[in-house]
Amino acid sequence: MSDHDFHPLVKQLLDGDLTLAELPAELRAEGEEALRLLAAADRTPVSMPAVTWRVMAALERRRRRIRPWLLAPALAIAAAFILWIWPARLTAPPPLVTVRFVLVAPDAKAVSLAGTFNQWDAHATPLVRAGATGVWTATLSLPAGQHQYAFVVDGQRWVPDPGAPAVDDGFGRRNSVLTL
Amino acid sequence: MRPGAEPTDGDIVRAVLAGERERYAQLVERYRDRYARYAARMLGSADAAEDAVQDAFVRAFDQLAQCKEPDNFVGWFFLILRNRCFAERRRSRATAPLEAADSVAAADRTDGGAETAERRRALQLALLELTPDQREVFVLKHVEGLSYGQIAERLSTSVASLKMRMHRAYDRLREQLREHA
Repeated sequence: MSDHDFHPLVKQLLDGDLTLAELPAELRAEGEEALRLLAAADRTPVSMPAVTWRVMAALERRRRRIRPWLLAPALAIAAAFILWIWPARLTAPPPLVTVRFVLVAPDAKAVSLAGTFNQWDAHATPLVRAGATGVWTATLSLPAGQHQYAFVVDGQRWVPDPGAPAVDDGFGRRNSVLTL
Repeated sequence: MRPGAEPTDGDIVRAVLAGERERYAQLVERYRDRYARYAARMLGSADAAEDAVQDAFVRAFDQLAQCKEPDNFVGWFFLILRNRCFAERRRSRATAPLEAADSVAAADRTDGGAETAERRRALQLALLELTPDQREVFVLKHVEGLSYGQIAERLSTSVASLKMRMHRAYDRLREQLREHA
C-alpha cells in the first residue's frame, strides 16, 4: 500500500457501504477528502439533439451511394432490350425510377417537396409523417435523369436535403441534386 | 402492438428489419441522450462523444439483424457504444487532456463557483489517466449512479472484480489529484 492509497474502510465509504460517522475518528479527515473527490464528479446531463438527424442522414447518404451501382446494370439491360426489341421507341420518354425522400423534422407541422419534377410547386407533393416520429417521407416515380429539389417546411422554410449534394440556385438558396 | 400504445424497442427493430428504415429514427431519438454523458466522460470531449454516439447508432443499424433480443436493444446498443469509446480512447489518447479541459470548462460556465470548476476539471483530467476499465466503472457508478450489481449485469462480470477495479481507481485518482494540486 503506497502513501496515496485510501484506507480500505475509506474505500467502503466511497462505495456507499459505510457512512462518515461509522469511520474511526482517525480516518475521518481521509474520509472527508475522499468524499470531496466524489463530489467533484461532473454529473451534468448531456444532450445530443443533432444525433438523430446525423444518423439518419448518414444512413440515407450511404443508401444513395449504393443505388447507382445497383441501377446501372439494370438500366443498361433495359436500354439494350429496348434497342433490340423496339428500335422505333428510341425517342420514348426515359424510364421511371421509384425514389423515397426522407426528412427528419420533429418540430415541423407540414413538409412538402418542391422541385424541377413538379414545377417547384410547394404544395404539390406533401410528405407524410411516420406515426409520432419526426420522420417525413414521400415516395415518387421520377424519370431517369437529373432533378433539383428542396423540402418546404411549414410552407415557408426551404431546406436542402441534408443527405444529397446541393448546388447554388442563383438566388441565394441551395437546391439538392438527385441523379437517377 | 396495441393500438395507440408506444411501440416497444422490439416492435421498432422488427419494422426496420422488414424494410421501414425511417423507423430507426425512433430508436435513435429514444436512446441518443441516455448514454451521452457516459460517452462524454469516457472520452473527455463533447464533440468526440457525439461522433461516437452517432457512429455507434450507424453500426447498430448495420448489425441490427444480429440483435438477439430486440426488446433489449438498448443493452445491446450500449455494448457497441462502449467498444467504440474504448477504441476511440486508444486512438486519441495523446490529445485527450486538452479536450477534457475544454469540455469541462464549458460545462462549468452554467454552474458557477471557480473552486468547484477547478475541482471538476482536475478530476476529469485525473479520470483520463485511469485505464479505460477503471474509468468506466467510476463513470457508471459515480456519474451514472448505477449500483455494482447493475454494472455487473450490464458488463457480464462479477461485483468482486468491479470493486477491485474501482478500489484501484480510487487510489490512482488520489495520486493524480495530489500530484497536480
